[in-house]
Amino acid sequence: MAINKLDNKQLTAFIPGTIVDVKVKVGQEVKQGDILVILDAMKMHNRILAPLNTTVKEINVKPGDRVNKGFVMVVLD
Amino acid sequence: MPLKNKIEELKKRKEEALQGGGEQAVAKQVAMGKLTARERIIALLDEDSFNEYDMFVEHDARDFGMDGKVLHGDGVIIGTGTIYGAPVAVFAQDFTVAGGSLGSMHARKITKIMDYALRMRIPIIGINDSGGARIQEGVNSLAGYGEIFWRNTLSSGIIPQISVILGPCAGGAVYSPALTDFVFVVDKISKMFITGPEVIKSVLGEEISQEDLGGARVHAQITGNAHFYSESEFECFEQIKKLITYIPWNNNRKARKFESKEPKTVFNISEIVPGDPKQPYDVRNVIRAIVDDSDFFEIQEMWAGNIVIGFGRLNGETVGFVANQPMVMAGVLDVDSSDKAARFIRYCDAFNIPLCTLVDLPGYLPGVDQEHAGVIRHGAKLLYAYSEASVPKMTVILRKAYGGGYIAMSSRHLRADFVFAWPGAEIAVMGPEGAANIIFRKEITEAESPEEMRRQKVEEYKEKFANPYVAAAKGYIDTVIEPEETRKLLLHALEVSSTKVADRPFKKHGIPPF
Repeated sequence: MAINKLDNKQLTAFIPGTIVDVKVKVGQEVKQGDILVILDAMKMHNRILAPLNTTVKEINVKPGDRVNKGFVMVVLD
Repeated sequence: MPLKNKIEELKKRKEEALQGGGEQAVAKQVAMGKLTARERIIALLDEDSFNEYDMFVEHDARDFGMDGKVLHGDGVIIGTGTIYGAPVAVFAQDFTVAGGSLGSMHARKITKIMDYALRMRIPIIGINDSGGARIQEGVNSLAGYGEIFWRNTLSSGIIPQISVILGPCAGGAVYSPALTDFVFVVDKISKMFITGPEVIKSVLGEEISQEDLGGARVHAQITGNAHFYSESEFECFEQIKKLITYIPWNNNRKARKFESKEPKTVFNISEIVPGDPKQPYDVRNVIRAIVDDSDFFEIQEMWAGNIVIGFGRLNGETVGFVANQPMVMAGVLDVDSSDKAARFIRYCDAFNIPLCTLVDLPGYLPGVDQEHAGVIRHGAKLLYAYSEASVPKMTVILRKAYGGGYIAMSSRHLRADFVFAWPGAEIAVMGPEGAANIIFRKEITEAESPEEMRRQKVEEYKEKFANPYVAAAKGYIDTVIEPEETRKLLLHALEVSSTKVADRPFKKHGIPPF
């Protein structure tokens, strides 16, 4: 089965950076557009947003963490 | 025979042709959630404006038992009509007639209306809904596609060409839309691919549905092949009608001028961009705070969101906007965003649409995948397109303008006619951290407290160079303005550049990096 890039539920870092803030908890319901994580990278506090209405299944980062490109920060249900 | 009877016969013939593929085939089309070809044309054009041609065309295939078959209109409807009074040429493939398959007469009808549109210098809209080549007609079908592609290329940059994908459009057939200016797709109805799921399965053993391989969302979000996405055919037609209001009939004209309208007060330009350069925001709100009636018509909204492109009006005149989007991937330039913006800039330039560029970007996206995906080649498209464009070019630097990104985003050096900067603009060769680390490496490493020294030097650099005044001192930007003045100045810039002359040395054509 080919990978479907639509409805991606694994939110990864688009570039290496530092986690500034984690706005949600595991099990929390989120709405499309809610801020999940703030990633400091490319001179910006990037807001990582929920792409759909769902719940948070997994959080793999905490403030201060350095993450590499492609690191899965949050997994949605 | 009296004329009255002949008129009756004409009516009868017309009635037969209007049935398309017949009741059963139409019922099947409806069951697929699709409108028929004629319903589509009627929904798209001004009421009673459509005039159909070649309704009585018949196919000339003789092999495989085709000689006895009647295919009304040979599976495609062509004609002319108007959209908000603007003339357009249209063809719509009729899936109810032999699956909208393309035979030689079908192709000849399409090329006839394409030739007409080019001769009359009016936009052409093609509605694609076809199973592909008509196998019974063999190489004549291929010839038909080739004739269409050739005309798409010939017409490119002279008349607007719009493709609407309202059904399957597979194999060679996809290349006509790909050669046109704007591609419209509708969720669950549009399907585009070169090789379909069956071929992929037999050659590679991979299983994938038509929808996941080349559905509307795939092309709107992943490939960038589609420019406009909608949930229904009617929504799609509204988008096409709106687009027609923004573009001219041909490359010798300007887009229709509307009455000027002030932006809506909810978009307060001085409150949209945060002072802290690390805070993201939606640059589309800056555009809405500038354009007439705050009406911004975005193109390729779902793909390469780190750059925003689309049309708005200033003082009633269509302007093409290109803006870095800080809220998506910090607004970096990369392979896709360069490609997206470059093509749009060339479109605007071809059709006399002035360009307005809003700059706020950290630079190009670093990474092995970007380098190996050819960011040099793709990034160069942006430089090429801006340098080549001779329409009025206005640039507003909102915040960050660093390094190669500064040059690429319609800088003075690529011949922007007006470059304005907001007071918070940071125009420099690179960000303060990076620059201080290089310039003061020795001081930092040799200091008692390197971290303290680094912080101090970064601050020093920031104060001295991360501002618009160094560039202003060289005349690279024309003036530093308050955000509230932006619209007024852009309106003025547009006014004084309407008679712009930008002579270039003669050449057959350039060789852009595509």
